[in-house]
Amino acid sequence: MKYLQKKSLAGKIVLDLIVSVVLAAAMGIVAGVALAGVTLLFASQAEAAEAPLQGTLLLRPPGPGEPLSAPLLSTAVAFRVCGMVARARVVQTFRNSSADWYEGVYVLPLPDDAAVDRLRVRVGERTIEGEIQERALAQRTYDAARRYGTRAALMDQERPNIFTTRVANIGPQETIVVELEYQEAVRYVDGRFSLRFPMVIGPRYIPHGVADAPRITPAVLRPREGRAPVNPVSIRVELDAGMPLAQVSSPYHRVDVKVLDEARREITLAEGSTPANRDFVLHWVPRRESAPRLAWFTEKKGERYYALLMLMPPAAAGEQRLPREVVFVLDTSGSMAGASIRQAREALELALARLVPEDRFNVIEFNSTAQALFPQAREASAVRVERAIRWVRGLEARGGTEMAQALDLALDGRDSDERVRQVIFLTDGAIGNEEQLFRLMRERLGGSRLFTIGIGSAPNSHFMRKAAELGRGTFTYIGRVDEVGEKMAALFAKLEAPVLKGVTLRWPEQARVEAWPARIPDLYAGEPLVVSAALERLEGELRVSGVRAGRIWEAHVPLSAGEGSAGMGSLWARAKVAALMDSMREGAPPEKVRGQVIALAIAHRLMTKYTSFVAVDRTPARSADAQLKLAELPTNLPEGWEYDKVFGELPQGATDSRFALLTGLLCLLLGISMLWFRRSAV
Amino acid sequence: MRHEHELCLGVECAWPPVPPPVARRPPRAQRRVRLALAIALLALGGWQFGRGAWLQAKAWLAQVLIAQAWQRTLAGDARAKPWPWADTWPVARLSVPSLGIERYVLEGADGAALAFGPGHLRGTALPGEQGNSVIGGHRDTHLAFLRRLAPGAQIVVETRSGGRRRYAVRYTQVLDRYDIWATRQEGPARLTLVTCFPFDALRAGGTQRYVVWAYAVDQPKNRGRERADRTSHLL
Repeated sequence: MKYLQKKSLAGKIVLDLIVSVVLAAAMGIVAGVALAGVTLLFASQAEAAEAPLQGTLLLRPPGPGEPLSAPLLSTAVAFRVCGMVARARVVQTFRNSSADWYEGVYVLPLPDDAAVDRLRVRVGERTIEGEIQERALAQRTYDAARRYGTRAALMDQERPNIFTTRVANIGPQETIVVELEYQEAVRYVDGRFSLRFPMVIGPRYIPHGVADAPRITPAVLRPREGRAPVNPVSIRVELDAGMPLAQVSSPYHRVDVKVLDEARREITLAEGSTPANRDFVLHWVPRRESAPRLAWFTEKKGERYYALLMLMPPAAAGEQRLPREVVFVLDTSGSMAGASIRQAREALELALARLVPEDRFNVIEFNSTAQALFPQAREASAVRVERAIRWVRGLEARGGTEMAQALDLALDGRDSDERVRQVIFLTDGAIGNEEQLFRLMRERLGGSRLFTIGIGSAPNSHFMRKAAELGRGTFTYIGRVDEVGEKMAALFAKLEAPVLKGVTLRWPEQARVEAWPARIPDLYAGEPLVVSAALERLEGELRVSGVRAGRIWEAHVPLSAGEGSAGMGSLWARAKVAALMDSMREGAPPEKVRGQVIALAIAHRLMTKYTSFVAVDRTPARSADAQLKLAELPTNLPEGWEYDKVFGELPQGATDSRFALLTGLLCLLLGISMLWFRRSAV
Repeated sequence: MRHEHELCLGVECAWPPVPPPVARRPPRAQRRVRLALAIALLALGGWQFGRGAWLQAKAWLAQVLIAQAWQRTLAGDARAKPWPWADTWPVARLSVPSLGIERYVLEGADGAALAFGPGHLRGTALPGEQGNSVIGGHRDTHLAFLRRLAPGAQIVVETRSGGRRRYAVRYTQVLDRYDIWATRQEGPARLTLVTCFPFDALRAGGTQRYVVWAYAVDQPKNRGRERADRTSHLL
């Protein structure tokens, strides 16, 4: 007031001005107090961070702290695609920028049918070729090298799509490069070719009884501000489709496509590199008139010929819609939180809306437990479908992934003639107990057909594909919400069109053929027949026959008309290994299978569950007194996943009460002062 | 108006005469805006202040009700709800004799329970039992005392059956909220008290956690500390 008085005395300034000045002053004081509060807050934070307990020592129990900063990993992938076959070279660069010696361990995914047949290590100018050895032996070779101080690399297969690379004795300021190569057949479904390269393993849910859990659960980089994702990956694809192309696209990454001629393209990532946090997919579509119906690639290796057959049955004519019983199974576990559950919900809503009243349906959701919408499948009346859609919209993703319970509910083991029973399974497959679930599917499938829909940026494609194979259905991959419509439409076409059944191959007698898969699965609309074969002679004719909608389909393939292509041997061996591993599920003795797999893998230099690649340098690098540190390199969380929904977090322990009290007090003071000065000003 | 003003201020008679107000008043609209702003600020301030006070009052009042529920728990009611619509119940009584602290621990370490008391994280051992009992709480209410717990401090747990178990603080630590390995069950009987960190932060929702590890004193001390490995696969 004195202030006001002086002002009015001294200046004869208009009151309005005074009021403004006073208000500004009041605001200044308030702002000052607030700023002081903030400063105080930060001051006490800094102080507290240094000494949470004044005068006492802060003891740290051992625990996994920060993921180590050294060594760092980057990856470069180069594909050469020739017709139906892709050859990939994955170059992992381990760079140690610290002053210590390190052993780097990185768990990585590869396509589930990749035939890994080469590993090399480069240290400076030298290249060390890897050897295929029985797994335990390779481990011993590697351990010895590690202890002895020589540089060495080991690569093991944990699952058909999970691998571990270990690199020992990476010296200070040193870079070691591990190069692996694999062969793979590209997929050709619905008139479109696709190549898929997984970059990250989604953290897996491990129920009881998974012995190798630590080997398939690498540490995951925590989301934290200012922390860039690890392992940048650059990708380059040299595509020679062997036929004129209409379109080349990558749905999840921005790519630059260079047109070389009508059949050849060169594709690189537009950004140069991408964090390894979601699968890379490349699609290419041939021009309509040149869409292939038949491909027969051969390679001579030793005494035998190895071959790959791709045969596309003609499109089904006419549509006969049998009444169906459809059971939808939706994964609502923590790993589905975020983008995945939105994709899944949308896909499920589309599928539900497509039901007709003659169909019967049910919906099952599962996380730590499974529950069904109806006790039994019900007629799909509009009211019930509406109710199901509302129920699905309300589902949230959290908790574990007890998939066995859901399968128990969904598969009843019965076989019915009057209805086609289809189980549609929407999940990211982020589980570690694949074998247990495969066994369950096998036992309980009955007459049902299981269709898997892989959701999210990094689904477990091995699980999805194998589950669909065991369930005699198909696998559909939806990587983004805007694909839901298109992918689901393709799936509906498969669900509703007649299936080509009882496909048999009659090889000429003199060819002495060993072909995989031994039993040809039912073929859905848009799916080709793919067979890997080893033959002694390329003579005669292969006769293929099958039945669709009561009509017999037949095709003839002259064996001598093959096109030469390298890598068919690896593909055939990989297909045989898969068949052998599957045979264990049907009761083949594990020891016998193991022997067969090892013999086959050594002959074809192939990585399997029982054989590993090991590469050892000759000269010791690390002296005995220098210590070797272990760095288990973390992987990224797949894009769109939510860390706390997967791993949980420590309880949150604060209320906003102080903030509310302080801001409340400030607002009150400000309001009162404004009222006060309003009165005094007038 | 002018007259009122003078009366109100009281001392203005001592002022020299002020020139008559000519076009001094702020326009009517402007005054209205100012009045509205002041009222809005008062309302907001009142609401915020009331909210803050309510959070605190609720936290401490609830403990009184829970104390009564605890008596019923000791009498044999395993799920004695402190008030009829509660979805939690007391599972232990925690006291720190040296600080004169007494707290009732509720079941569940989610926001709904933590508003009323420290909460026991489901899936971990119950306080007083074997294994690792994880208890979360707010740093500005029930677990504010954690900053005063020094290694060696005694904590007494009264269990639902009326038994007592003593714990001694062994160390304290600042962890990240994702350090869930702190909840693993292997190892000796212990309490893991978790609250937010830093203690003096104004806002909730920080990423750091202050953790106090207290080991049962009737246990032989496990000197070779267990390797705390990742628990990602346990979840």
